[in-house]
Formats: sequence, C-alpha cells, structure tokens
Amino acid sequence: MNSFFIGIIILLLCGFIAGIFSDKLKIIALSIFTGLASVFCFVPAIKVLLNGEVLIKTFDFNELFGTVNFVIDPLSAFFVAIISVMSLVTVIYANGYLRPYIEKGKNINAHLIFLPMLFASMQAVVTCQNAFMFLICWEIMSLSSFFLVIFENEKKDVLRAGIKYLVFMHISVIFIMIAFALLSVKAGSFDFNAFKSVLGENVHFANSVFALLFIGFGTKAGFVPFHNWLPDGHPAAPSHVSAVMSGVMIKTGIYGILRLISLMGTPAKGIAFAVLVISLVTALYGVLYAITQNDIKRLLAYSSIENIGIIGMGIGVGMLGLAYNHPVVAMLGFAGSMFHILNHSIFKELLFMGAGSVYTKTHTRNIEILGGLIKSMPKTGLLFLTGAVAICGLPPFNGFISEFLIYLGMFKGLLIHNFSSVILILFAIAGLALVGTMALLCFTKAFSIIFLGMPRSASAQKVTRDCEFSMILPMGFLAVMALLIGVLPIFAFVLILSPVSVLMPVVQYNILPTLSIVSVITLYALAFLVFLAVLIIVKVKLTNGKIDMHETWGCGYNRANNHMQYTASSYASPFLSMLNPLFKKVFDVEKPRKLFPHSAHFNFHVEDIEEAYVIEPILKSDEWFLSKFEGLQSGNIQSYIKYGLIFLVIVIIGSLLI
Amino acid sequence: MIINLVILLIIPFLMAGIIKKTKAFWGGRKGAPILQPLYDFIKLLKKDFVISKTTSSIFKIAPVVQIASVLFASMFVPLACGSALINVSAGLVIFAYTLSLGKFVSLISAMDTGSSFEGMGASREACFTTIVEPAFFMLIASIMVLSGNFTFDSLQNILVSAGNYGVLIQIFAVVVLFIMILIEGSRVPVDDPATHLELTMIHEVMILDNSGSDLAFFTWANSIKMFLLSSLIAYIVIPQGLTEWMSIAAYLLVMFIISVVIGTIESAMARFRMSHVFEFVFLMSSFALVVLALVTARMFGG
Repeated sequence: MNSFFIGIIILLLCGFIAGIFSDKLKIIALSIFTGLASVFCFVPAIKVLLNGEVLIKTFDFNELFGTVNFVIDPLSAFFVAIISVMSLVTVIYANGYLRPYIEKGKNINAHLIFLPMLFASMQAVVTCQNAFMFLICWEIMSLSSFFLVIFENEKKDVLRAGIKYLVFMHISVIFIMIAFALLSVKAGSFDFNAFKSVLGENVHFANSVFALLFIGFGTKAGFVPFHNWLPDGHPAAPSHVSAVMSGVMIKTGIYGILRLISLMGTPAKGIAFAVLVISLVTALYGVLYAITQNDIKRLLAYSSIENIGIIGMGIGVGMLGLAYNHPVVAMLGFAGSMFHILNHSIFKELLFMGAGSVYTKTHTRNIEILGGLIKSMPKTGLLFLTGAVAICGLPPFNGFISEFLIYLGMFKGLLIHNFSSVILILFAIAGLALVGTMALLCFTKAFSIIFLGMPRSASAQKVTRDCEFSMILPMGFLAVMALLIGVLPIFAFVLILSPVSVLMPVVQYNILPTLSIVSVITLYALAFLVFLAVLIIVKVKLTNGKIDMHETWGCGYNRANNHMQYTASSYASPFLSMLNPLFKKVFDVEKPRKLFPHSAHFNFHVEDIEEAYVIEPILKSDEWFLSKFEGLQSGNIQSYIKYGLIFLVIVIIGSLLI
Repeated sequence: MIINLVILLIIPFLMAGIIKKTKAFWGGRKGAPILQPLYDFIKLLKKDFVISKTTSSIFKIAPVVQIASVLFASMFVPLACGSALINVSAGLVIFAYTLSLGKFVSLISAMDTGSSFEGMGASREACFTTIVEPAFFMLIASIMVLSGNFTFDSLQNILVSAGNYGVLIQIFAVVVLFIMILIEGSRVPVDDPATHLELTMIHEVMILDNSGSDLAFFTWANSIKMFLLSSLIAYIVIPQGLTEWMSIAAYLLVMFIISVVIGTIESAMARFRMSHVFEFVFLMSSFALVVLALVTARMFGG
C-alpha cells in the first residue's frame, strides 16, 4: 500500500519538477515520472487482483472528518490498474501531440501540472473510502480536468465548452453531496463501511440514495439525460486529454455506481429495471447522435455515451440477477460490464489518439473535408481501423467479448420467469443488437470518410507522412491489447472475477460453464484467424500479379473527381431520414438566384435534442431572471462595502434569533 | 467439417441456379444450366484483376475477410438438419457478429473506391442492416425463451415447446426469415441482382469495382448467406423424428421450394421504390414482434 502512495506523491509533484526542464525535455521527464508512478500504483493493484487480499491504509483527521481509509480491494484495484496503464500511455502520446504547440511557443507548464494531478486524483477517488475525502478528491479531479480541457483557452468555444463542463460537474457534485450528507448523518460517520448498515435498514431510503447518487455519478459517466457536457467537452480538449477523459475519467462515475451497489447488498427490482432501461436509452441515444456527427471528436464523444450505456446494461443485468437471486445472471452482467470498462478504455483511447493524429496533420476535425489519408498515414489508418472494428464489438477483437458476456447474461436472465423481466430483456437483446449495427454504420462512416477514397480538400491532400513514433507507439500498444484480449479473453476474465465478487454478497454459483465458454472463444478466434490466413494464401496464389490498375468505374465517365465521392452526411442520410423527429436539424442554405448566380452554399448540422429543447430554454429563462440583478454590480466600491455591511448585520441578527 | 465445406460449395450455387432457371421458366426461356453459377464462380477465380487506382490495400483484403467470416459463421448454424458444427449457448451472437465483421469490411471496401455509386450502395446496405439484425435477434431470442435452450436447437422444438401456438409461431418465424433472405441476399423486391449496374443501388452496386476472384468471393459469400438463412427455415419447418434420409430429402426439398419461390417473386414483381423498401424491411420487425407477443402469450397467458 505504501508504494501506491509513493506513486500518488510522485504524480502530484512531477508536474512541478517537469517545469524546471527545458522545453524539449519537459514532457519526456513527465513521461518518465508518470511511468515510475504507474509502476508504483500498478504493482499493488495487480497483487490484489491476483491474491484477492485487501490493502488498507488509515489516516487520522480527527478534528476534521474522522479517520480516512484508503482501501485497495479488488474493485478498486481493477480501476487502479486501468488508470495506471492508461495514464502512462496517454503521457507518451502527449509527447508527440504537444510538440507542435511547444514549437509555436505555447506555455504548457500549467498543463503539465494538471495532467498528473488528474491521474493522482483519479487514483485517490477509486481508493478512498471516506465520503468527505472522496468529495475532495472528486473535486480535484473535476477541476484539474477542467484546466486540461481549456488548454487552448484563447479560443472562445473551448472556454465555453470548459465552463459548460464545470457547471455540469458541479451540478453532479451537489447530488453526490446530498446523498453523502444523508448517509453520514444517519450513520454518524463518513466511512463507507458505516453506510452499509444504514443502506440495509430501510429500502425506501436506500432507493432514494441510489437515485441521487445515480444522477450524480451518472452525470460524470454520461448517462442520458445527464450526458450533455461530453459532446462539447471532448472536442474542446486536446486529444490526449479527451482520450484519458473518455477512456478513464468517465469510468470513475461508473466506479461510484458499482461501489454503491457493493454497499447496498440486494437492490430493489424496480431499481434494476430502471438502470437497465436508462442504460439502453443511453446506448441508443449515444450511437444515434454519433451517426449524425461529422466532427470526429464529437462523434467519438457520443460513442462514449453509447459505450457507457452498454456498460450500464451489464450493470442493469447484474442487478436484475441480484434482485431475482440468480447469481449466474448477476455474475455475467457485472463481469460483462467490467470487461467493457476495460475494453472501452482501450479502444476509445486508441480512437481518440487516432483522431488526434489526424488533427495534428490536417488541422481539422471535420471529416467531410478529409479522405484518402490511409495512403499518407498508413500506420495511423490501420490502428484507427483496429479501434473501429473493436468498438463495433466485432470478433476477433476485445469489444466482442464483453458484449458477448452481456448477451449471455441476458439470455440466462430470460430464464427468470417473470413477465416484465422477460419482455424487458428481450427488448434489451434486440436493443443491444441495434446498438451494435448502428455502431457499425457509425464507424464504417468515420473510418471510410477519413481514411479512404480520394482526399476531399487541400488539407487532406497535403499530408505527406505519418505521425511520429511517440504517437504511433501508444496506439500500437493499445491495438495489440485489443487483439490480444479478443483472442485470449480468459486471462482478463480471471482478473475480472475478483472485482465482480465484491459486488455480489456471499452467493455460491458454478463458475465453470462460463469459464469454459470464455476460454473456448480463444479456439474460435484462432480458428477464424487460421481460416483467414489460409484464404489469404489462396488469394495470393490466385492473384499472381495479374492486376491492372484503372480508374474507378463511373459508368464510362473517367473524370470522376473528389467532389463526386459520397460524403459522410450522405452516407448517414438514409438511416437518419427514418428517425427525423429524434433530432433537430439546423440548415444554413443560400440558394443560387438569378441567371448568373454569384454564390450559393448549403450547410447543415444536427443539434442535440436535449440541448435544443431542454437546456437552452432553461438557460434563456435563467438569463431573464438573473438579468434582474444586474443592477447590483455597479462597479462602485462603496456599494460593495454596503453589501458586506448588510450581510454582516443579517448574520448577526440571524444568529441572535437562533 | 469437410462435408460442410462441400455443402457450402455446392448448394448455394445450386439455389442460385434454380432461381435463375425459375425466372427463365416464367419468362418462357430455356435458361442456363442449373450449375451455371458454379461455372461462373470457377471461371472468375481464374480471371485477371482490374482494380481502381483510388483503392488501398483494404480493397484487396476485404473479399477474403468477407468470405472467411461467412464460412466461419456457417459453423454455428445447423446445416442439413444436423445440429450446428459448433453448438454453443448464444451461438446466435457469434454467428451474427461474425457476419457483421464481413459486412464491416465489405462496406469499407465499397467506400474505398471513392465512387458515389458504391458509397450509395454501402450507405443503404448499412441502413438495412440496422433494421434487419435487431429483428433477427428478437425473433430467435423469443423462440429460445420458449424452450429455455439458447442454442439454435431450440428452433427445431417449437411445436413441442409452444403447444397450441406452435404452428403460428412457425409461420411467422418463416416469414421473418424469408424477408431477411430477400434483404440479405439482395433479391427482388428489395434489390435486383440481375442488373449489374448502378440502377440497383444496394448490394450489387457495392461490388461494381471488384473483379476476378474478389468478385467470385463476394458472390459466393452472398449466396452462402442466403443459404444459411434458408437452412434456419428448414430447421424450423422440418418436423423432428424423421429418418436420416427422409430429413435430408426434406431439407433439399425446402431449399428447392425457397429457391423457386424467390424465382417466382422475381418474375412476378418489380423492385420497390426505395422509400417502399424501408416499409418492407420494417415488415420484418413487425412480424418479429408478433412472434414475441405469441411467445409471451404462451408463457404468461394462462
């Protein structure tokens, strides 16, 4: 446990130390320190996962908030391990990504302080077992990530997105605070273990606390309808930050929910249903909006919402299993969701890094003006493709395994002989299939418009070479992990079983059938790869160099140019036209007029329905209300002193009355 | 496994041949020999390639991945009335997701050419998939609930597990799967495989630029997909308890009937307008919902 704290202390300090070095060495120094810290944190975590023992470190803050326990139990260890690995990968990528900014003379010292601070606070959040301390770490996490998001703070929309993120995080923290306050008043202590008995006493109390915390943690994680900060926050942040935020940080919200479940014991049936339904809606909503987006990072942000939904579906199935006392269903659901947490952190980091590499070279996030990049950036293209296939849940990559486990849990859940659960699970199965195919549509669109065909603009045309090694290396590592876990899922699965056991009160179930299914997937995957290899050999034999290169077939028209290609909007349009009422289309059209038209343009984008019909009206009415108080800010120092005086008088009178 | 491969090499082509023969019959022509699609396949394997300059290596590897995924998926489906070669719980998921992998690569290979025709085909194919697959999952999962057995074997026991509702469920299940064959196999009224031109604008247009063995692989994969879904129909329809030879004869008969019906539909009607195609595809989802309703009625309806 001590080594874990050494790791955290290194993370907290190394940003300041890195500032001493010269511009070129700064990030390299930071990478070395982060690597060191990652090892210090990763080792105890992996020990806990393998042995199942629990590490505890107690600090005494008597006067303030009692004893504070930092505990690495298997559930925390799982997250600690993911955070350690991903933070190192992210920092290595940042080496390449930040270089152009340094060359332009941007001061990145603050960035280098907040990046490791974010890692440290995430590590603390998933290990801290004291409500008060938890909130402090949670707040440090939110604030440090806020400062990372506004890296390019000279841009107005970046600042806007950052402030939106900050507001959302503080609304979420209010809910968490209220829930924790309720719990600690009842329990008389801030310690999580004390909450356990309180939650077990009264079902209604437990349910309302769950609702509050689900809103609070769900806002961080990005559950619909609390998701709205993600599609703005991720594009604004630099790519390595969006990678770590989407790949790891939003999972701390999931961690909160899982920790709560572990404290709650058997959840109420209604809660389990609600979680499953909300998650299904989240997944569908996320992937639907991902299809509508043409900004690659917004697309990936919405796809994170989708994946949070899939993770939530696993949790919902697990809770359903607990509520109906079906341990195998519970195990499969929780294991599926845990597995998807791991998988999503791998392929979403990979995809965000891929998007970042494309952005570094082309300086645009609009996929409509990209194209043909696989020829100039073959490595990035191949790695992005790996991520895209993995995120669609296709075999033989890792995404398939977790979705398969969730499907398996749902199939087993069908055996619960209860009308509403059977209907709900059948729709959830079809829903997950729908999510899968929509993800397929979304990522075939993203990959093929960015990397295939002809370049659609000069900025895509002028890319001459691939990214530098420090950007390719972390992506390559993640892609290899995606394939390895897909082919050999059993190793990851065994590690996941001990965190799953934390979520389930002492129940006995037979793990062997599931183990055999998971291990037999290896055989299938290998069989498939052999199939593929044989067929490739056949094809090579058949080809034998008899290839003629010609223009693409254009019905005899041989002058096809890049503007005649299919675009991202048109690719998605047949699907979206079926679902028109579900989003708000904003058109910007200037039709050609008169005989010799001067100018004409057509532009359209899709707005989030929640943003358009819920958040904006609320903001408008807020503005109206708050504008009534504008007069208070007179700029006159005397009147400010007057306010202070009035306040003091009110406080004195108030305290006298009480 | 060898037998399976032989079946996959012959029956899909035979079915395609029978469909063409049926169309010729209704058109008053003599038509090509029934094995013509197989001859075409072999001929294509020997041909040279013409490849677009716009394409990348994705275009070359895609047909191979597509055929590998389809062949691999075939191991999870019961062929010729026996159980599937790999008969596992939730084999449905492995089957469908492996096919999706093939679809993924065929979509990006179409986009790789930079042709607007192929882009259009890819976008529509992707769109149809989003409607077809959930309906398929819902249908099979509903049937699986009845018997509590999550392998494809449960399709065979509908009459036993569903009692009075059995026949109705069978009928609707067959209709759903048949519509799926028309969509996935790109047949009339969804798509028209006879016009190898941009007019069809769905699956067939996606492979405009493929040639040689690439084209052979794509057409083969497509007929195998049709054949696998037909096998599921056969599995539902053919009653249990027949002798081995009887059941194989019945299986071949079902395959024959399906091909003739497809051929007849193709002769009798024209392709739908694109907006009507969507309505037709949604028909499949509605029928799958009917099956779900019947299943729950059976389970919980007194």
